[in-house]
Amino acid sequence: MNSRNDENLKELFERFLSAEQAESGVEDILKAEQILRQHPAPEPDNMLIANIKAEIAMRLPAKRTKIFTKTAYRVACAAAAILVVSAISLSLFDNGASESGQEQYSSMIPTAIWESDDIATDDADLAIFTIEIEQIEDELRTLQLGESAGNGDSSLSQLEMELVAINNDFWKE
Amino acid sequence: MANNDDLAKLIIGCKHGDSKCFSQVVDIYASRCYGYFYRLTGNRDLSDELLSELFVKLVEKIASYKGGSFEGWLFRVASNIFHDYLRSKQRRKKLLDVHKEQIESEIVEPKKSGNEQIDLLEIQLKKMDDDTRELIMLRFYSQLSFKEIAKMRSEPIGTTLAKLHRGLKKLRELMK
Repeated sequence: MNSRNDENLKELFERFLSAEQAESGVEDILKAEQILRQHPAPEPDNMLIANIKAEIAMRLPAKRTKIFTKTAYRVACAAAAILVVSAISLSLFDNGASESGQEQYSSMIPTAIWESDDIATDDADLAIFTIEIEQIEDELRTLQLGESAGNGDSSLSQLEMELVAINNDFWKE
Repeated sequence: MANNDDLAKLIIGCKHGDSKCFSQVVDIYASRCYGYFYRLTGNRDLSDELLSELFVKLVEKIASYKGGSFEGWLFRVASNIFHDYLRSKQRRKKLLDVHKEQIESEIVEPKKSGNEQIDLLEIQLKKMDDDTRELIMLRFYSQLSFKEIAKMRSEPIGTTLAKLHRGLKKLRELMK
């Protein structure tokens, strides 16, 4: 702290004025301050001081309550923030878990099929579908060879309808 | 007067809301702060009011004191309180000018208490401009160094020194 007691007035004046002017400046200041000391201002009433102290004492609990309320609010905010963060973390963790469940997507394909050497026989749907395709192939072959006894157009349209039906059935499943 | 260590302990106590520490700070500084307000306003009632306001502000603002010269900090608060008072006085004066006819009888300047005596110094101080008077009182009552006063007033130390020297020289002449 650069207190007034440590201050060297003459040195300070000499930074701005000549040595002679500095000396006169210091004298002006010291003498004027002497005048101020000779004319002291009135002292504050004891009653005033007592009132001020009472006022301070009255305000302090309110201030402490304020500080307590502030602290309580801060703690509550921190707790709320922790809860929110925990909730978000948990929900993210849950999502993560379900995402890892989705990684078991392969389970939708039965293990038997997944590990099968002959899917066409192990998968029932696929086996039916294969049989139907083989049937159609036979019918087509018959048609091509003219072995069909009936009307060729109606056989074609029948075949076409069968194909549509198979197609629908396949996608329904 | 308390030494720096004692004062530091008192301020820590004040920061913790210890009313005894506040009381001691009041005991140490009330006289000087009162003198500062009195020499600026020339009125005891007003000085009472401003001094009370200062210590209420002290309770409110002590947390914002972050070290350094406590006197400097306290008198800065005191100076701000005085400037607030001047501003409110000016507003009232303006209001008086606008509604002069209606409220001319209302006296804006606070009256002196019956038992108050006007001393010669007070008369001469009133002949000086507000800024110089405040600077002289700040130097005398705060007991701050020129460097601290210049810092508080945000002006170069040479300016503060020159203004104060001029002011005190004038005061000396007026008091002869």
